[in-house]
Amino acid sequence: MTAPNPFQALGLPERPDLTDEQVRAAWRNIAAATHPDRPDGGDLARYTGASAAYAELRTPWGRSEAYADLADQAGDGPATTPIPVIPGDEPPLVPPWQLLLALTRVPARIRSGRPLRLAIRGLIAAALSLVVLQLIPGTPAAPADVLGLILWFVLTGRKDLAPPPER
Amino acid sequence: MSVWAWLKFVTFLWLLRKGFRLARWLMVAAAAVAAWPVTVVAGTGYAAAWLRGWPPARLYRTAAWSLPATAAWLVALEATDPGFLATREPGRAWGMGWDQLTLAGLARTFALLAPVAVPAGLALAGLIWAWRIYAITTGLGGIRASAPIAFDRRQWRRQIRTAKGLAAAPGAVPLLGRGGQIPVGGTIRAIGHRWHPVLALPAAACARHMVIVGATGSGKTNLMIRLWAGWFTATLQAARTGRGDRPLLVVLDCKGGRDARRKADRTRRLLYGAGARRVAVWPDEARLCLWDLPPDELTVLLYQMIDSGTGAAAYYADVLQAVISLAVLAPCGPPLSTQAFLDRLNARWLQKAWGDGRHVAEAEHARAAARHLPDIQLRYATLLRRLGPALDGPGTLAEADAWYCILEGTRERSVAEAQAMALTELAAHTATSLDGEPRAMLLAADDYSAVSGRVPLSNLYERGRSLGIGVQVSAQSWQGLGATEDERYRIAATADGGVFVLHTPHPEPLTALAGKRRVLETAHRLIGGAWGDEGTTREQRAWTADPDLIRRLAVGQACYIHRGAATFVQVARPKPSPLSLLPPPAPPIAPVPEPRNEPAPAPDPWPPPASLDDIFGPEAP
Repeated sequence: MTAPNPFQALGLPERPDLTDEQVRAAWRNIAAATHPDRPDGGDLARYTGASAAYAELRTPWGRSEAYADLADQAGDGPATTPIPVIPGDEPPLVPPWQLLLALTRVPARIRSGRPLRLAIRGLIAAALSLVVLQLIPGTPAAPADVLGLILWFVLTGRKDLAPPPER
Repeated sequence: MSVWAWLKFVTFLWLLRKGFRLARWLMVAAAAVAAWPVTVVAGTGYAAAWLRGWPPARLYRTAAWSLPATAAWLVALEATDPGFLATREPGRAWGMGWDQLTLAGLARTFALLAPVAVPAGLALAGLIWAWRIYAITTGLGGIRASAPIAFDRRQWRRQIRTAKGLAAAPGAVPLLGRGGQIPVGGTIRAIGHRWHPVLALPAAACARHMVIVGATGSGKTNLMIRLWAGWFTATLQAARTGRGDRPLLVVLDCKGGRDARRKADRTRRLLYGAGARRVAVWPDEARLCLWDLPPDELTVLLYQMIDSGTGAAAYYADVLQAVISLAVLAPCGPPLSTQAFLDRLNARWLQKAWGDGRHVAEAEHARAAARHLPDIQLRYATLLRRLGPALDGPGTLAEADAWYCILEGTRERSVAEAQAMALTELAAHTATSLDGEPRAMLLAADDYSAVSGRVPLSNLYERGRSLGIGVQVSAQSWQGLGATEDERYRIAATADGGVFVLHTPHPEPLTALAGKRRVLETAHRLIGGAWGDEGTTREQRAWTADPDLIRRLAVGQACYIHRGAATFVQVARPKPSPLSLLPPPAPPIAPVPEPRNEPAPAPDPWPPPASLDDIFGPEAP
């Protein structure tokens, strides 16, 4: 069942850009002619329909909504057409192996960054790790110390890598 | 009481006081020796912070980052000695250390206790360093009265050195940070803001309004290009993941000249690296079409582009406006080119266009204005010829990802002013147009003061705000922001994206935006050349962004003022990632659209009769 057309009920053209005054004037004309208090008894059905339509079309927002509903009913498609996608600008798919992809870029990032500094950092971390493993082999502190050195290397060495291409 | 007894009493009290102090220091020293691994780390951390100008927050964060190693140690300890026995391990390791006071023995003990000693030592170093800064800056510490000044100057130097080192590192300050943030450079000093090694702004800050003030050669261009590239990269990535619209950057370089071309070239290379498909340089390589504007806006713009005085000249201004309205709003549609517009400034054309019988008033106006039309046509012919063909199309702003518009504000001010008006109008039209694809727009005006004669900066600013586009403006000084003090304040105070102040001789009005902060000031009684042990401390107000510090800023250093706080930053030179896959640059000339035909005026409703037979019929005498 289709909803009654509020524009028709007020005798207005089906346009979303009607003004408040136009809608109000149309309703007043119909109300004056069909009010039940008239000596001839008026036209209650028409008066009720016009009042309901006026309530719907009273505001610009209401009018645009009613117009959009009518456009939908008419089968003209959505009132606002979707924005066409520009060829070549579709959102790139995020592959599940993106992390692996990032890892494969690391050698290139090292080469384009400061490889010498990174090598020095790496050597320091490796040498200290060896010293720790030599001094306290098999103790609980040994893996913790090595982990600490790896963390230090990763956190301080990041800035010696060239940024990834997307940055 | 005799004098001798009084002297003995006073000496006793002095010795007692010194004794307490000595005992306190001895206890601290004993604790430091006993917990020597922690002391070693704390000492190293403190020295590093002092030498590199780090804030205490840096030490706390390093301590926090070492906690995963502590957690790993606890897990390993639990695995080897489950339960309560595990808690005895550090004490045992510490006790064994005292039995082997050799280098290898000490190293072994340190390695055994490092998972605890490192975070504890760094946190302790942070606390001591924070106390030291507090004591010196409030005047409680230091030997000489000049200690706070010397300390601050030294730390400032070291903070700059550290920030420069960070800004020079290839991966420390990329064009785009995590979470869509725009890294600006290494933080020198943060006052009121939370300290981060790299100052990074959210991309949304650029999408609002931002003011940049700095003298020539202060590094303003680098900063602006970095912000543009960062905003573009962040917005493009957001658009690709469906979280926003595609970016459109419009830069107005209002000074022009050879420098502007170099800047355009740098910006273009950087934006190509950031993923832009087409960066157009106007007017050198691309054109725009002024006549694409809606007729009403075109009428207003054409009227504003011509100087039309006040007083007695107001009469001619009214005539001018009426004529433009008649020419642009003619029933056959607006003009599509400069030549078409000039052709319309002709009495015959106007009377023919409006003489369809339905526009009697307009036709009458066209007749009344006929004697002024040659003058008006001459004025517009001169103006539009000086503006050149770059505004005569074809081309729209939406065709490129970024536009770098060069206005010769230094060489030809009046022309540049008219061009600026037209370009701003085109940008506003693109922002509000419902026809094309919606775009996230940033309008950046570099040295706008060079062309702000006709359209004050505040207008541009408020216009941008109402249209929902980000506006970034730069000026060489506070005075360059506007013609009046009121206008300048309006611009600076509404910069909700923040204010960047680089080296400038008069930064006070801008630094006032950051406000003042409460500081303690201690006065000491001097005994000879040294401080005595009496004095007072009182609360004072000091600048959050110190104007003297800003006056001394070197090239590439800036102060970012936002929400009553300030961060001094060493701006990193913008460079794209060397791994960027540069897209093939689009051809520099705009693609030529289909030719459009200038609509002819409406046909005459009463064409002249071919013969008298048409009127009276063939049988007429």
